[in-house]
Amino acid sequence: MSARLGRAAARSIPYGSSPLLASATPVWRSRFIVAGLALAFAGLAARAAYVQVIGNDFFQRQGEVRYARTLELPASRGRVLDRNGEILATSVVAQSVWADPEDVDLNHPRLAEAARLLQMSLSELRRRLDVGERNFVWIKRQVDDPVARRVQALGIKGIYLRPEYKRQYPHGEAVAHVVGFTNVEDRGQEGVELAFERELSGRPGSRRVIKDRLGRIVEDVRDIVPPVDGRDLQLSIDAKVQFFAYHRLKEAVQQHRARGGSVVVLDALTGEVLALANYPSYDPNDRRRLGGDQLRNAALTDSFEPGSTMKPFVAALALDSGLARPDTPIHTAPGRLQMAGFTISDVHPYGVLTVEQVIQKSSNVGTVKLAMQMQPRDLWEAYTRAGFGHRPEVPFPGATSGRLRPYKTWRPIEQATMSYGYGLSTSLLQLAQAYTVFARDGERVPVTLLRRDTPVAGVRVYRPETARAVRHMLQLAAGPGGTAQLAQTAGYSVGGKTGTARKQEGRGYAARKYRAFFVGLAPVEQPRVVIAVMVDEPNNGVIYGGAVAAPVFSDVAQQTLRLLGVPPDMSVQPRIVAEALPEEPV
Amino acid sequence: MTRLNLVLLGVLLVSSFALVSLQYESRRLYVANERARSQAVQLAAEYDRLVAQQRALAAPARVQQLAQRQLQMRPAHPAITEYVALPQGGGTP
Repeated sequence: MSARLGRAAARSIPYGSSPLLASATPVWRSRFIVAGLALAFAGLAARAAYVQVIGNDFFQRQGEVRYARTLELPASRGRVLDRNGEILATSVVAQSVWADPEDVDLNHPRLAEAARLLQMSLSELRRRLDVGERNFVWIKRQVDDPVARRVQALGIKGIYLRPEYKRQYPHGEAVAHVVGFTNVEDRGQEGVELAFERELSGRPGSRRVIKDRLGRIVEDVRDIVPPVDGRDLQLSIDAKVQFFAYHRLKEAVQQHRARGGSVVVLDALTGEVLALANYPSYDPNDRRRLGGDQLRNAALTDSFEPGSTMKPFVAALALDSGLARPDTPIHTAPGRLQMAGFTISDVHPYGVLTVEQVIQKSSNVGTVKLAMQMQPRDLWEAYTRAGFGHRPEVPFPGATSGRLRPYKTWRPIEQATMSYGYGLSTSLLQLAQAYTVFARDGERVPVTLLRRDTPVAGVRVYRPETARAVRHMLQLAAGPGGTAQLAQTAGYSVGGKTGTARKQEGRGYAARKYRAFFVGLAPVEQPRVVIAVMVDEPNNGVIYGGAVAAPVFSDVAQQTLRLLGVPPDMSVQPRIVAEALPEEPV
Repeated sequence: MTRLNLVLLGVLLVSSFALVSLQYESRRLYVANERARSQAVQLAAEYDRLVAQQRALAAPARVQQLAQRQLQMRPAHPAITEYVALPQGGGTP
């Protein structure tokens, strides 16, 4: 090989004398090439710098978009529990069915089956899918998990599932007004669900992942931000008491063909609301046909004139200020009293009544005579300290403050009517709370919807002796010769006051529309519960609080005390009949 | 020298293949882990749903109805209750 090369080299012209070299090439040409290459490299460098440094974020992002996904990790909403841990509201996973209408074959043979599973007509399903250019449409939200899986199993192209949370209310209509409900986006709309939205709702977390071609997650890009679940909320409500109260109220409303009713049960020691029920109610699991009336938590949002249930506050103020003693006689004959062109009258005319008997027999005339000896300001202060005219402490949406006008604007006739509960208004919860003054030896306790284990300090309204004396009056009212004998309950001593108030309509009072009340406490010596009952427009012959509302109190008080484990304070004639077995000869 | 280079080349190849297969294995395990995790979430959801269902079945409204209808039971009240006084100081016998 080297020989051949040698021969070729020998044949060729020596390098130095190449004619090509001899011709004078212009220098600029080589410089031009070098400059061109340099420029090209500079261009590459600039581009690299742009991609790596200046536009780095953009390219990084564009790259990630093609393989990385951010997944939202949903946080579950806190549960609502009763005082013993019973679930009143909880979130369960439900599937929402959605579709990409462009992909769905409207004549798919199994579409009818899907419509049947989703409880809609085939034509409606088709109408939902026929929306033109959109590529996302909800078909049905929050379908039960097993049903949704069967829809998915039909294998219709273009129909997909998306997991969501759905709220469930195991106790249904009995606690509906207290617990409220959430909307389809899991946000509170009513009741506790709305009032404690911030505590209940969690904070969703997120994770950034790399997905492969098949959509499987193959790697986490950065640390997972864990979701923060909502806090569980423990209410003061006792599901058993609540159910019983609701059930008993419903019976009473139906029996008296009334428009509705409410009942509130308070723990007198702690101010906890043990039960708060209204009828008519609704099933929060199925809210398709809901009207405004059913939704209202009437015990908190409606205010009304409390009628005779206000009288004990007047009597208490009279005792407290030394104006009277329980046995001070008051002339109520002839059962009527003329005042500024109005006639104030009693249901039955009585002669001379003691202050105790005025409450026991619920005499309007006697109460007015007591009240007219007081300064408007003193009466106003006593009412205000008992909680009338301002919102109760519960953070409930729409809770009313009732109405108590400033004493400076009172005319004498108004002071008179206010003493027996007309011309001011209150909610049932306020009324029940006000009665804790008598149950707690003169202190008004702040009410709460959340569980509270320790007794709390209250606001002093009357002296303890006064409260005890009024309690005795309330016991008389529920005893023989009182207006509320039906409030009696086996085993426990009770006290309370009836009320029957005419309903306001427009500017005056409706002719035959009444509200029947009973507010009471039990056991009388050491009250544990305060129960207020209101029945709206009883329409079956009897209208009086003593006949309509007191029996509800009686049954609810009995069950509540039994459930709270309060031993009976009165001896009961036992009705346990031990069946005597015939003696057998041994 | 050449021999050393060949050995090193071999080591490099082995290590590269090991890296690739480990990466593959790691992703496979990750996917399996993901699947197990999503199954855990699904089972937890199922559990929650069943607990809710159980509570709904044990709701006082339903229990009372069944007790009254099927077992002819009625609510207790003091008149049909016998109260037993416990000896001082002792809660449980």
